[in-house]
Amino acid sequence: MSDTAGNGAVLVVGGGISGLTAALEAAEVGKDVFLIDKNPYFGGRVAQLNQYFPKLCPPTCGLEINFKRIKDNRRIRTYSMTTVKSVSGGPGNFQVELETAPRYINSNCTACGACSEACSSEIDDPFNFGMRKIKAAYLPHEMAFPRRYVLDKQACSDESLSAVKGACKYDAVDLDMQPEVFTLNVSAIVWSTGWNPYDPEKLENLKFSSSSAIITNMMMERLAADNGPTAGKILRPGDDKEPESFAFVQCAGSRDENHMEHCSYICCMATFKQISYIRAQYPEAKIYVFYIDLRTPGKYESFRAKFMDDENIIFIKGKVADIVAENDGGVTVVAEDTLTAKKVNQKVDLCVLATGMQPAIGEQGKAYGLTLDGNGFVVSEPEKGMISAGCAKAAVDVYSSGQSSTAAALKAIQIGR
Amino acid sequence: MSMNVQPDLNFIKAMKEAGGDTLKQCYQCATCSVACPLSEDGNPFPRREMILAQWGMKDKLIADPNVFLCHQCGDCTEMCPRGAKPGDVLGAIRAYAYQHYGWPSGLAKLCTSAKNLPMLIGIPALTIFMLWIISGGMHIPSGEKFAHVGYTQFFGHWDWRLLAKNVLFIDLIMLTSVGIAVYSVYKGLSAMWTKMEESLGTTEAPYRPSIPTFIKDFLYPALKEILEHRRFKECTVNADRVRGHLPLLLSFVGLFIVTCYSLFTQDVIGIFIPSMHGPISMWNPVKLLANVSAIALLVGIGILWMNRAKMEAAGKATNTFYDWFLIWMIAGVGVTGLAAELLRLLGIPSLGYVVYYLHLVSVMMLFLYMPFTKFAHIVYRTFAMAFERYRDSAYVKNPLNQ
Repeated sequence: MSDTAGNGAVLVVGGGISGLTAALEAAEVGKDVFLIDKNPYFGGRVAQLNQYFPKLCPPTCGLEINFKRIKDNRRIRTYSMTTVKSVSGGPGNFQVELETAPRYINSNCTACGACSEACSSEIDDPFNFGMRKIKAAYLPHEMAFPRRYVLDKQACSDESLSAVKGACKYDAVDLDMQPEVFTLNVSAIVWSTGWNPYDPEKLENLKFSSSSAIITNMMMERLAADNGPTAGKILRPGDDKEPESFAFVQCAGSRDENHMEHCSYICCMATFKQISYIRAQYPEAKIYVFYIDLRTPGKYESFRAKFMDDENIIFIKGKVADIVAENDGGVTVVAEDTLTAKKVNQKVDLCVLATGMQPAIGEQGKAYGLTLDGNGFVVSEPEKGMISAGCAKAAVDVYSSGQSSTAAALKAIQIGR
Repeated sequence: MSMNVQPDLNFIKAMKEAGGDTLKQCYQCATCSVACPLSEDGNPFPRREMILAQWGMKDKLIADPNVFLCHQCGDCTEMCPRGAKPGDVLGAIRAYAYQHYGWPSGLAKLCTSAKNLPMLIGIPALTIFMLWIISGGMHIPSGEKFAHVGYTQFFGHWDWRLLAKNVLFIDLIMLTSVGIAVYSVYKGLSAMWTKMEESLGTTEAPYRPSIPTFIKDFLYPALKEILEHRRFKECTVNADRVRGHLPLLLSFVGLFIVTCYSLFTQDVIGIFIPSMHGPISMWNPVKLLANVSAIALLVGIGILWMNRAKMEAAGKATNTFYDWFLIWMIAGVGVTGLAAELLRLLGIPSLGYVVYYLHLVSVMMLFLYMPFTKFAHIVYRTFAMAFERYRDSAYVKNPLNQ
């Protein structure tokens, strides 16, 4: 395939589970595919999970096979740390200007790790939501694809930079790397830009930053993951206490016109999944789930039923609207139990905010010519050559993302044949 | 447990008209009950009131002390994830309750809509104008006489010293208005109290407090709390309202004292010492209190006016006749009252008489419509706060049974 002249070529923006699926589906029927991601690695949010639905697999399970298929497929070209600058043209004939941010480590890298050892500067680990410090020369995570280190040049002191450069035996460190802008011609664009966890700081009444005992559900995934900051042990950030009680705060930012009006679909199930993590480590822990409605669609209903029978899990119908930090490191969550019409002040050791999915593309999407719905999701418009997939299109689970990505690929390959 | 829900469509319609049209947005998350600084752990609101209102269960709502305990600060509305504006809905329920308890019902109904404004202003305007004609006092005094007697001969003058002609007419107007209002409030409060007691579900109380005990244990603490504005100060998003409401409330207390003083000196002492008639000297401390109160009233209502306008502009409150009618009436009383005094001091009798007439009209409106408008909160909320204490007292919760 050529770099630029893509007759019938497809650009897939966002290399999470949806983008990987759409790229592979299009490539495996013979289309040229360009797959880009703004992160230095592919795999997106799924890579950050401990386990994912429907079968509670670890992310290695689903991602690895997709990475293998990509490596084996000569029709897919991948660009990490790459974003869309502008889109012009129309269906069958798009010119897309892309920009690759400097990684400062070139393809000579063998992921030996010598640069990281030599590096003396540290950054908050973005993959683990800042729950630990890592070296500024780092592999994003254990199973990162592409398997290549990244250097955060801004965070490094001059001596650190020279140490990093000196440590590399393969001449892979290139401190003069510049942002690279290039243009692709494609027939269709699949937008699989995914989601971000809603910023918990915006939920002022839940006072996220007032206590390290308040975490988000994505932080919980990292705490439970073997490759996470606690090596898979669920401990309270800050003092590493083994929590004896947990509170789950559902709809933190979702179904709320002051924040996100839509239901994020996955948070109820994520909570049940995380209850399963807790149960595996703390069989006796008290767990309180505060909800407006428990939404466990389709076959997930039986998964819910299993935990509803656990007598140490208390379900309280009422949204948490206040959290008070306590002196012992725990927090008290406040809600009205609407079934008893009494207020509940529940003290817990660890409080998990089930923050929802915010479409990652944001207002920027409009500049690309996309139509966004009222909640910021990308409206799929195959007639305009712009097709959305996965969580860029709607808040969904991995399973539904797979379906919508395959559907997106089917639409994309029909344009500019 | 099954519940037979009989929605009252008229009630839901009334809710919509009184600014509770956002009611159906509520999905019962109960954020409001936690956001509300007045909501208690064992008896939270307004979440429960929202669903009762959605179901149209007006009988439960008008017997619910929480409805009246709400100070409509808007903390709940601010945090509501659905824009259901619980604060406004509770305001609308109160508006409905005042109308429900109001007597005579025709007058109560009249006070619910801006469409009836011509009638609402027309009744006192015509009454006072007719009495003015009947009194025969219908001539504007000379500047010299005006400076001497002020407005005390608005309805004319006769030499019968036991009751001044002007006082007779003023009493005829105002005491009748106040009489209707007091009787209406008495009826309304009795009905509300009975319903609230029924809603407790307890059987006939073995002992009831005597009236002095009731005042000492329940009413007086409530009044004290109101004067201190303790609950008002708990509000967060709308703290400005205390700055308006407190001077306004104190000005009403001040003006009440002034009115009593004036009534006593002019109409009682005045019988024996005729020189007590006429305007009070500017250097009299009572006159000073009157003037300070008048200014406090205008400042207070001004702050509340601007505050309300600001909230509505920001979409945090609904524009309702129920809220504005009271603001207009009080502003009317304050502006005409002070203007009449200034015109007297400036010695402009013609304009002064017109303004004084408008002052009488607005004062009569305030008195007569008190039980049916937002003004009714001064009695209904006070008694709800007394009931709140009564509810937790040994009269209801027999400690021997606990």
